Amino acid sequence: MRRSSNRKSSSASAAAGSGSTKAASKEFEKIDHLFNVYADKSSAIIDPEGIEQLCSSLEVDYTDVRILMLAWKMKAQKQGFFTLEEWRTGLKALRADSMSKLKKALPELDKEVSRPTDFLDFYSYAFRYCLTEDKQKCIDIESACQLLSLVLGTQFGPQVDKFTEYLKSQSEYKVMNMDQWMGFYRFCNEIPFPSLENYDSDLAWPLILDNFVEWFRENQK
Amino acid sequence: MNAQSQSQSQSQRRKNFKIEAFKHKVELDPKYAERTWKVLEHAIHEIYNNNASRLSFEELYRSAYNMVLHKYGDKLYSGLVATMTAHLNKIAKSVESAQGGLFLEKLNHKWADHNKALQMIRDILMYMDRSYVPTSHKTPVHELGLNLWRDHIIHSPNIQARLQDTLLDLVQRERTGDVINRGLMRNITKMLMDLGSSVYQDDFEKPFLDVSASFYSGESQQFIECCDCGSYLKKAERRLNEEIERVSHYLDAKTEVKITSAVEREMIANHMQRLVHMDNSGLVNMLIDDKYDDLSRMYSLFKRVPDGLSTIRDVMTSYLRERGRVLVTDTERLKDPVEFVQCLLNEKDKHDKIISTAFNNDKTFQNALNSSFEYFINLNNRSPESISLYLDDKLRKGLKGASEEEVEVVLDKVMMLFRYLQEKDVFEKYYKQHLAKRLLSGKTVSDDAERSMIVKLKTECGYQFTSKLEGMFTDMKTSEDTMLDFYAKQSAELGDGPTLAVQILTTGSWPTQPTAACNLPPEILTVCEKFRTYYLGTHSGRRLTWQTNMGTADIKATFGKGHKHELNVSTYQMCVLMLFNSADGLTYREIEQATEIPALDLKRCLQSLACVKGKNVLRKEPMSKDISEEDVFYFNDKFTSKFVKVKIGTVVAQKESEPEKQEMRQRVEEDRKPQIEAAIVRIMKSRRVLDHNSIVAEVTKQLQSRFLPNPVVIKKRIESLIEREFLERDKADRKLYRYLA
Repeated sequence: MRRSSNRKSSSASAAAGSGSTKAASKEFEKIDHLFNVYADKSSAIIDPEGIEQLCSSLEVDYTDVRILMLAWKMKAQKQGFFTLEEWRTGLKALRADSMSKLKKALPELDKEVSRPTDFLDFYSYAFRYCLTEDKQKCIDIESACQLLSLVLGTQFGPQVDKFTEYLKSQSEYKVMNMDQWMGFYRFCNEIPFPSLENYDSDLAWPLILDNFVEWFRENQK
Repeated sequence: MNAQSQSQSQSQRRKNFKIEAFKHKVELDPKYAERTWKVLEHAIHEIYNNNASRLSFEELYRSAYNMVLHKYGDKLYSGLVATMTAHLNKIAKSVESAQGGLFLEKLNHKWADHNKALQMIRDILMYMDRSYVPTSHKTPVHELGLNLWRDHIIHSPNIQARLQDTLLDLVQRERTGDVINRGLMRNITKMLMDLGSSVYQDDFEKPFLDVSASFYSGESQQFIECCDCGSYLKKAERRLNEEIERVSHYLDAKTEVKITSAVEREMIANHMQRLVHMDNSGLVNMLIDDKYDDLSRMYSLFKRVPDGLSTIRDVMTSYLRERGRVLVTDTERLKDPVEFVQCLLNEKDKHDKIISTAFNNDKTFQNALNSSFEYFINLNNRSPESISLYLDDKLRKGLKGASEEEVEVVLDKVMMLFRYLQEKDVFEKYYKQHLAKRLLSGKTVSDDAERSMIVKLKTECGYQFTSKLEGMFTDMKTSEDTMLDFYAKQSAELGDGPTLAVQILTTGSWPTQPTAACNLPPEILTVCEKFRTYYLGTHSGRRLTWQTNMGTADIKATFGKGHKHELNVSTYQMCVLMLFNSADGLTYREIEQATEIPALDLKRCLQSLACVKGKNVLRKEPMSKDISEEDVFYFNDKFTSKFVKVKIGTVVAQKESEPEKQEMRQRVEEDRKPQIEAAIVRIMKSRRVLDHNSIVAEVTKQLQSRFLPNPVVIKKRIESLIEREFLERDKADRKLYRYLA
């Protein structure tokens, strides 16, 4: 039996080197400098407050999905915090070492994430990013709904709306797990909406989706 | 003479003579042939004129022989043909002229004559038959005679149709009740057969079948309008038998199957649906009223036609299912589960008898019965509980005094119902509960009957099903032995204390009960502790917990005027009563505090001691029927009973209450989860990769002897196993699951 892991599997973006050679530190000088603008002085980590400031500098909302994309690019482990390593990783991959360059990089990032292979990775990252406790495997329904809107809202608006409506109205499921999270994305991609033509509950769809489809069909009448 | 004179002239020299062949030539001149023929022709005439006795067989045979020998076979043969033909034409006229009923007789008569004549002619012409006929490829005499008869008599224009009509008319008359000359008919049909089966078929059989078909078509239509099903079937059977008899008396045997299938088609096949569904007299009514004769008749008649039996079977099945469905959803009836099950058993018995008596023990019908029962018994999810309660009733008192065979019969019948259950695990839970109560209260009518039932369950469901049940029996026996040993070893120390009888129950085997200990009276406590010490002495490492919610006590009580009674009470009741040894009156609260019996149980206990007529050893103030927490209780000095031994039962519900039922159902569902998971893991371990539907099918198959798993529950368990990383979804094909080692 495999042990559960929060570690992200390998993705397309390059991992940052960790050696502190003269060349490396020269390379990261500006990036580090930018880091220190937002980092907390004592912990040397950007905390939620710092992120808020970062957001206002970038002129995006705190809850904007692009922050999540940024976190993904950085491979940030803990929600609400960026370490120096993570900062370096992200900004190097984005080829940004100043605020203006970072601002310009965001739309590019948006496009990159939208590529199907990258999006799948981003999508599953989004879920794991919300697992704040150590052995946590599920996120509560409320948060799941918000996350879905954030991450899939533009691409699959109608499905997300209906699904979140369903989730909020039912009481059987209080949390969602990774399997169900990934199942929903597959659902959006494979099943035409709102006809739900080729949905077959005898196949291996997660039960929560079977229930959603049933609820949806009932409400259609 | 030449020879002599020759030899005479040479007698001096040698006695030498030769014998030469007789060279006298017998010339058969044509005139001779003609003359010979005339002799024969005359003979034929005489034969046909019944004057054969004057003829010499020898001479005629020789004449015929000579003609053939001298190559006049052609003349002889063609002469024969011509002569016979002439005679037959005469006969035809004679037959044609016969009036009415004499027609057939004449025909028959002439036929007999013809056959006799033919025989004689054939004998006379036997040499020709054997030598000339084969070489010239002519028809042999006998056959020739038959063919000529056929062509000139039977197929004569004035005879052919008349013959057919006459025959069919006679059959029709017989069918409508007249008596006809069967012997004559026999001869005629035999004649047709002798002339060739195609003659029989074309001239008689085919029209016979056609006419019969329309006759029966009409008759069946008539009957079905005015008869009820049973009467109709009787008529159909009668007609069928009639036709069979007709064939045996005067038709060719091969006609039987053809006429019977015509009757079957017209009278049965064409009206099957209407008969079976007939109001007030159809199949269903017959089943309800146990009309064995009618049912048996229907079975044997319908068996003859295609889809006949399946028609009966289908109607029976849908009737049974509906009847069963009504039975199991009748809420009134369900209030008494023992009655309910008895009803089911009666239905089974009734229909078993029908199938064995009227349906020839047909296996397909037996299967239909079984599948119907299986269908409706599972419509009601309380069936498992009801069956267990029925058994409980029988084993407590119902089978009292019954012989071993009678017991076996009852148990076997109940086992048949058990086999129909889908939720056998629910039955197991209830059976365990009821068995426990029976064993502990000693209220079983026969130990052998109990064990016999266990054996039957084991045979049906395997060892696992019954291992815990058997454990209960073992505990009872062991407890007996333990008590004997306890008293043997401890008798000195126990002295005058109360006598204890302990039943030690192994926790895993018995149904779990929530235990709430209460305060036992000191005397009891003492002896209990002595037992505990003794037991733990021989079984260290075990833990004993007194189950005060079970158990009974026998108390000797003295009432006013010195009336002594022995009271048989529950443990709780005993605790309450013993308090009154040191106080005449106690409030509810005081009793509650002293005994620490849970409120619900305490109320029931006090109610049974103070509010039941004839058992009120306590007196309550106020005298209301219910127990309130403000009540005060007094020892009832004035208690009387005509019995010395008084049993005071606790006011208790025998059947489960709603909340208890819910709880039981929940426990069953909980128990099923691990079983389903174990099945999934077993399957995935051996198959490695499998799609969803196959898993569901396999799991269902593996668990079918215990219960029918819900596919939704199976899916949930799979997801749970995915979460716990026993399984994963295949990355390439999301429809598959993969086992994770």
